[in-house]
Amino acid sequence: MESHRQEGILFGVVWIILSALGEWAARIVIRHNPLYYTASNIGLMVEHAFDFIVVVLIPVFAFVALGIVWAMIRFHVKKGQRVELPTQWARTNRWFVGIWVVGTALINILFVLHPTTTATEHFFAIENPSTPQNRHALVVDVTARQWEWIFSYPQYGLTQTVNRNGQDLLELPVNHVVKLELRSYDPFHTYDQYADVIHSFWVPSWGIKEDVIPGETRTLYITPTRITSYAQNPMSRVQCAEVCGPGHPWMEAPLQVVSTAAFHRWIAQQQALQAHP
Amino acid sequence: MAQVVSAPAPAPQARRAQWPPVLRGFLWAAIGFVVLNTIVDIVDPFRGHPFVTGPSATLGWVGAVVGWLLGVGVWEGVALPLFGYPSRWIEPSTGWRRYFAYSTDHKVIGLQYLGSAMGGFLIAGLIAMFMRIELMSDHLTIFHYPTNYLTAVGIHGTIMMFSVANVALLGGFGNYMVPIMIGARGTAFPKLSGISAWLVPAGILSVLFSPLLGAWTTGWRGYQPLASQDPNGILFYYLGVAALTTSTFIVALNMVTTIMFRRAPGMTWGRLPLFAWGQVTVGLLVLIWIPEIQATFVMGLLEKLVPFNFFTATGSVLSYLELFWIFGHPEVYIIAVPVFALWNEIIPVMSQKSLFAREWAVIGLVFVMLLSGLVWAHHLFTNMRNSEILPFAFFTEMISIPTGFAYMAAIGTMWKGRVRLTTPMLLVLMSMFNFLIGGLTGVFLADPVVNLQLHDTFWVVGHFHYTVIGSIVFTGLAAVYYWLPKMSGRMYSEFWGKFLAITLFIFFNATFSQFFLLGLHGMNRWVPAYPAYLQPMNFEVSIISFFLGLAFAGQFVHIIWAWVKGPKAADNPWDARTPEWFTASPPPRENFPVQPEIVSSLYIYGAQQPVAVQLPAEEELAAARDESLEPEGGSPHE
Repeated sequence: MESHRQEGILFGVVWIILSALGEWAARIVIRHNPLYYTASNIGLMVEHAFDFIVVVLIPVFAFVALGIVWAMIRFHVKKGQRVELPTQWARTNRWFVGIWVVGTALINILFVLHPTTTATEHFFAIENPSTPQNRHALVVDVTARQWEWIFSYPQYGLTQTVNRNGQDLLELPVNHVVKLELRSYDPFHTYDQYADVIHSFWVPSWGIKEDVIPGETRTLYITPTRITSYAQNPMSRVQCAEVCGPGHPWMEAPLQVVSTAAFHRWIAQQQALQAHP
Repeated sequence: MAQVVSAPAPAPQARRAQWPPVLRGFLWAAIGFVVLNTIVDIVDPFRGHPFVTGPSATLGWVGAVVGWLLGVGVWEGVALPLFGYPSRWIEPSTGWRRYFAYSTDHKVIGLQYLGSAMGGFLIAGLIAMFMRIELMSDHLTIFHYPTNYLTAVGIHGTIMMFSVANVALLGGFGNYMVPIMIGARGTAFPKLSGISAWLVPAGILSVLFSPLLGAWTTGWRGYQPLASQDPNGILFYYLGVAALTTSTFIVALNMVTTIMFRRAPGMTWGRLPLFAWGQVTVGLLVLIWIPEIQATFVMGLLEKLVPFNFFTATGSVLSYLELFWIFGHPEVYIIAVPVFALWNEIIPVMSQKSLFAREWAVIGLVFVMLLSGLVWAHHLFTNMRNSEILPFAFFTEMISIPTGFAYMAAIGTMWKGRVRLTTPMLLVLMSMFNFLIGGLTGVFLADPVVNLQLHDTFWVVGHFHYTVIGSIVFTGLAAVYYWLPKMSGRMYSEFWGKFLAITLFIFFNATFSQFFLLGLHGMNRWVPAYPAYLQPMNFEVSIISFFLGLAFAGQFVHIIWAWVKGPKAADNPWDARTPEWFTASPPPRENFPVQPEIVSSLYIYGAQQPVAVQLPAEEELAAARDESLEPEGGSPHE
């Protein structure tokens, strides 16, 4: 029994050291943003939730991984060594089982409360259509067809915005709430019900993805928090994330987040473009 | 089946089979296809179609599968006797030919399943290598059209899921080992089981040759309405999966019934081997959820053929997704539960220590099974009303608690034990490590807001390759090495076994750990072309993955070598206590010379523990008498 206790204490000390080293490494990773690049309010929320889970999981990983490696190093029988068994082995240990069962339950309850419930509630609040800032959101109709993202700005009378190369372009002002209305249908082939398939609206740097389902209109409220563009960071792109047929890999559109003044200049330019095609 | 085997053979040499059964199966399959396909053409009201159309190929496929099954031996073994004709069929009890024909011996069936699973793994693995060659650059190279790449992705995933992950530990080791481990001398449904083993090659070939009917772009999930928009190749996806899932269903029926009704005297539920517990819990999952996905796929098939508009914008698109994942998540545990069971089967033996907290290990299996039906919608966080998200996130997080019990029992068992780091033990520990990473990366995915970023990225691809390869492939290999001396009577090379295991572990982790980083950096799924900034890392991952492919190939070469040429193994090389080690290696036709009795726990080790498996002496004598009368009945060795 005494040897069990000593072994257990040694294990605990090594586990704490490993966990501390792991947490130190995690600080470095977190400082450099494990999500690489975050440019929206939802993205920041995702980043914080991600970081929290990393911090809690490091000791868990260290414990189990150490349990495996420990057995390989401390308890293994050397080649040719005779195995002598005691008359009876311990078949349970009230402390170990108790701490394990209660401990894993507590860790999971912690995750359910935070970040799962807290962040999800926060997300619900961001997505609540009746808050004052959401009622004054910039509306962008996003239409997913095979294989193109079409962006229209009904408040400005723009039906399809494009960049200088004629590519569909999503341009938005920074720090302003945007309401994205997501639909999947083909405005050029409305007679063909099979032309509508599932797409998924994803901007990697925004930390958000929403499937676009034929026959449904979905809304997404989001605030870009950083001036960015596809040229500046390729994670700033609208990417279809759900397989939608042969054109799926190319179903992407550049995203451009600019200052409010630049946005209004761009709107005026697009309106002129639409008036004189 | 005893009658069939011990019946005096009416000079089998005189009636040599005209065709080897597998070749005859192919011929009859071709005939079946052409006959039914032509009938459909004849009754087709729309003249002028090509000879093979969607509907004609579907019914032709049914004819092909029936022809295939009859051809491999079901004709003589089942069909003729069923209609009252005298059975001239004699099941061979030795020789390699019996592995290539219909058989009622659960050990032969088990090896047929294992062989099919291995074949499926090599085919799908080779396809994965082609995918990695494509992903070395950011534009199309070896695949000339994106549909070709997407079809390759679909075939890879479908074969790996339905004919490897569902088959190796259930149909393979389940059929072979579970009856012996519970001291039974046969299974409950030997004929049905003999038929079902041959559905696996039929399913693999259907999926593999689906491009003959046209490309399909949906991946292994066959999402509608895209599937209905695709060319007809998707039909062979639905049909192939129907054959494979039917096979899995029959395995589960046979295993659950056998474990319930054919346990040896003294084999109480409290003494039941952990692997058998795993098979019961998985069997129940299969019996509940496989019919559900089959019904869904029938709807998908009809949607494509008729069409019905079940799953288009005018029907309900989300219904297909829900129906798919209601099966799709239990599927993950259909794969993982026998793995957890095997860890705690092998670890006590290799540690020569009593299984720690056995009740908790069993409770873990049962609760994973129960909870697995409550978590499916975490695949659909990008598709749900916000109010529906939280309950599924809750259950998804909770399922890690019973999963953890497998780890608790394993670590507790090894603690202060006499751990022998043999190849199977090493692979089990590696599997535990891999699955740990798979599980912990799943915690991120279980969190809804994090999921909204990681869903459909390479993070998910990394996560499920860690959970599936990490669990079933590593533990499946461990099981092959562990039971190799039992199944073949031969031993592998401990040096090569360990060397190859370590190589595999390193290349596996080097490949798939980077998938997480790719996913975080914005690499999405199902893309043969992607933004250029992701190319350097993909290139390097591809190079490592080729070495991973070689490491797998090395494993198979070594295993085949050991099976054929390995040194003779001892009767019980691991000093195990479970019943399969108390009979000859390989076991005789009826597993034990007499009905064994179980007299004490199988998992309690100790210096003075009695042997748990007893073969009563009088019956042994009686058996010896029988054997002298019928020489072909009892010989355990080939």
